[in-house]
Amino acid sequence: MPDPASQIEDLRAQFERDLAAATGEAAVRGVRDRYLSRKGGLLSALLKALGTAPADERPRLGRLANELKEDIETQLGARLSAVEQSRPPSGAVDVTLPGRIPTLGHRHPLTLLRERIEAIFTRFGFLVIEGPELEDDYHNFEALNMPADHPARDMQDTLYLETPMRSAVGSQATLLRTHTSGMQIRYMEQHPPPVRLIAPGRVYRRDSFDLTHTPMFTQVEGLVVGEDVTLADLKGTLDAFARELFGADRRVRFRPSFFPYTEPSAELDISCGACAGTGCATCKRTGWLEILGSGMVHPAVFEAVGYDPERYTGFAFGMGIERVAQLKWGVEDIRLFYENDLRFLEQFPL
Amino acid sequence: MPDDPERVATDISLRGFEVASVEHGRPAVIDFEITANRPDCLSHLGLAREASAIWRLPLRLPDVAIPAAGAAPPLEVDVEDRELCPRYCAQMFEVSVQPSPEWLRTRLEAAGVRPINNVVDVTNYVLLELGQPMHAFDYAKLTGRRIIVRRARPGERLRTLDGFDRQLDPDMLVIADGERPTAIGGVMGGQDSEIDRSTTVIVLESATFQAVSVRRTSKRLGLKTEASIRFERGADIAAPLVGIARAAALLAQIGAGRPLGEVIDRYSAPQRPRAIVLRGARIARVLGQDVPAGEVPGLLEPLGFQVQATAAGDAAWAVTVPSFRVDVAREIDLIEEVGRHYGFDRLPVTFPALSAAQPPPDPAIARERLVRQVLTAAGFSEAMTFAFIERQAALPFCDLGETPAAIANPLSEKFAVLRPSLLPGLVDACAHNRRRARKDIRLFETGSRFTSAGETRSAAFAWCGAAADPHWSSAPRTVDFFDVKGAVEQFCAAFGISAGFATADRPWLMAGRAAAVTAQPGGEVMHLGVFGQLLQAIAEARGFPRGEEMYVAEIDLDVVARLAADDALRVESLPRFPSIVRDIAIVIDEVLPAAAVRGTIRSAAPETLVSIAEFDRYKGKGVPEGRVSLALRLTFRATDRTLTDEDAEVATDGIVKALAAAHAAERR
Repeated sequence: MPDPASQIEDLRAQFERDLAAATGEAAVRGVRDRYLSRKGGLLSALLKALGTAPADERPRLGRLANELKEDIETQLGARLSAVEQSRPPSGAVDVTLPGRIPTLGHRHPLTLLRERIEAIFTRFGFLVIEGPELEDDYHNFEALNMPADHPARDMQDTLYLETPMRSAVGSQATLLRTHTSGMQIRYMEQHPPPVRLIAPGRVYRRDSFDLTHTPMFTQVEGLVVGEDVTLADLKGTLDAFARELFGADRRVRFRPSFFPYTEPSAELDISCGACAGTGCATCKRTGWLEILGSGMVHPAVFEAVGYDPERYTGFAFGMGIERVAQLKWGVEDIRLFYENDLRFLEQFPL
Repeated sequence: MPDDPERVATDISLRGFEVASVEHGRPAVIDFEITANRPDCLSHLGLAREASAIWRLPLRLPDVAIPAAGAAPPLEVDVEDRELCPRYCAQMFEVSVQPSPEWLRTRLEAAGVRPINNVVDVTNYVLLELGQPMHAFDYAKLTGRRIIVRRARPGERLRTLDGFDRQLDPDMLVIADGERPTAIGGVMGGQDSEIDRSTTVIVLESATFQAVSVRRTSKRLGLKTEASIRFERGADIAAPLVGIARAAALLAQIGAGRPLGEVIDRYSAPQRPRAIVLRGARIARVLGQDVPAGEVPGLLEPLGFQVQATAAGDAAWAVTVPSFRVDVAREIDLIEEVGRHYGFDRLPVTFPALSAAQPPPDPAIARERLVRQVLTAAGFSEAMTFAFIERQAALPFCDLGETPAAIANPLSEKFAVLRPSLLPGLVDACAHNRRRARKDIRLFETGSRFTSAGETRSAAFAWCGAAADPHWSSAPRTVDFFDVKGAVEQFCAAFGISAGFATADRPWLMAGRAAAVTAQPGGEVMHLGVFGQLLQAIAEARGFPRGEEMYVAEIDLDVVARLAADDALRVESLPRFPSIVRDIAIVIDEVLPAAAVRGTIRSAAPETLVSIAEFDRYKGKGVPEGRVSLALRLTFRATDRTLTDEDAEVATDGIVKALAAAHAAERR
């Protein structure tokens, strides 16, 4: 038989461990029952066992056992009153359970970006206009200095309708617009200068799918016409826009390019955000990312809409916002924008 | 000129030539993308000229000294169509066809051209160097010792160098011998007159062809060649002669051959160089920067322009355009050249002044923003789907007698027709999500759709799975008709439209669970759209699991625009007297529409009735078979006094009597 005195100490240690581990009222009461219950309680079992100890040791052991019993009762009493005091008021709820979250849908990332771009240009004094997605050859090409059989038409491979149909502005359309410029032509046909607008919308090109191309994408085009609008104004406007959209630390540069409807034409590059302009895979080691095409409106376009090209000058620009979105949010595959996978859409803020 | 190829590439790119790649080798190779307006730069000479302007270096032209010629055998050259072929030069050579020397082969390979034999290699070399396409015919294979430049005759065919048998038509220009076509002008030569090891005399063609004609022919034949790419962008009228001279010098240099006779030059309508006036003030007006008058000639002359100051007082120049700059037609083109070589980076950064107020914004923009607001608030996430879809996906959503509008040149069968509705795209998007183990889906889209009415705007949504996000406090419930109807009602309310609902019949909706939405603002019935449960077979055909329900709705935004346009809201004053509420429960036929009950109540009630709300509908124990118990809450209020209980009793009794008379309704 083990030493009875150490048995008492063992039971004390065991009790203290159990009490420390017990959380909540029910658990503390459980500890009480386990140790103090008259029938089958651990303490009464110990006392019973002490009955078999040698007679001369009994008084000392009895004293020790009584001390232990008092100790247990005191500690339990204190814990019980503590847990009883922390008992929740009637009608209380468990605040850690999940709440009922009102279901809110997410706007599409291209909408988020488009609205952000619209907000910037609206603040710059631009009007936002929308137009038909079905267009005629004149408004999509000819009025934009792209006569039939012009090689520049290859830059915008076009989807044609089998049978002409009525567009959203009531005209007879033969093709899916390859850019939103047609709406700018319509606007100029109807309004004298000054003009300061952006035309966002869906456009269509006969491009095969890859990581950066879809046959339908979203464009934001801009147009400013007045008596003293210059290429320097174009630089200032787009510089302010790009820094606001991408961050003030980004640098921009203008590179000459070619578009039939602008002369001079320029491409706008921003310094690569992934490598801060030092060259990486994202920017093909150039340090620059191309984000939009722009230029001074070609006099032939003004002639087509009845503006005097001697009196008025203007600038125009256009960007595909999928590309901007890809760069901004690190979306590697453009097709994600059109798969409508909720796991993708729900990553964007409400 | 910088040593570093990357630096060279960047500097040239900043003058308008985008860099496709830089290969660091010996020699380093820089690949540029040339824009459609600069056919002159589809050559090393063209880019060298740009480089000479950038780094202010002299431009060294290649050797074009024609060596001594031998006697020529007879050859007759006739240009029948001078419009399509403004200039045709030909030179005969005595040749010995062999492989080219190493240096020539290396250079061609660096430029991505496969060496063939010395004669063909020389023509390719000249093409790359000067940009002038040329073609060598085997003289012995030209029937009748003739070359005739004419349109193809109906039914004529030609096997081109790439081995394809081509059907020609009278819109195409051909180079024929005395009998038949031997080449397609500006596009590709024919196999029958191709030179080979046994060739001893060649006729080297160096011509210009009309851009539009070459482009059409190349498109029609689906045949894009180095020659057609250059000619369709515009040819340098002076280049044919230079090309022949350069080829002669090269053939002599590599010992491949010597000229026979003189150059034959058919150029009946010589073109005069273009002269354009360039004004200094206009440069400043466009660029926003005064380019010093002294700098302007120095920017243009290295590019081949001749610049002559005009007598007028202000800075202005008469600029003669070199024949290779087919893109420079007016003053603005010269301003671009000035700006390009002055440097866009040196232009100031300014902001355009506002000089007038803007017209009011298009209400459609605010309207579609509200659509997004209402639908996202109802838990729908925004989808964007393609406007062109598979014919099979479109057909079920066409109204009776309609066919989807087809695209003439679709990318593939998957994108063959324009969507008649936004629903097919949403159904596919739901199926896509469902396949990825997503059960609860709410998606909407706004956009254009295409029917016999033309292009119209709509907003559509689809809902499947749970009616609400799961929560531990209650059992989940699957979406049903009334969830979708609620969303539609909310949508209409957002636009201030008081909508009516009636059973509808649409081929894509399940019979009995389809409703039409209408409004009658001034008596005229306007159709806003339909909603209901999508026919299961349609969803299933698009990969949606069998047996799961999908609810859809589509609202015509053009009709919403007409209904919402009238912003005539006047606030009602708040009631001054309390209302009194009475609940009634009636047993009626279960097929009797609630709208009929409401109608009867309205006509029987005094004008103090302000609202009717159904709050319970019960079938089962205590209600006879085929009947239903409907509980309604009626609210009465007068504008001039507090109603009494007696007022309410009288009104309720009258209503119950009317319901009994009209619908055999029994009060419970």
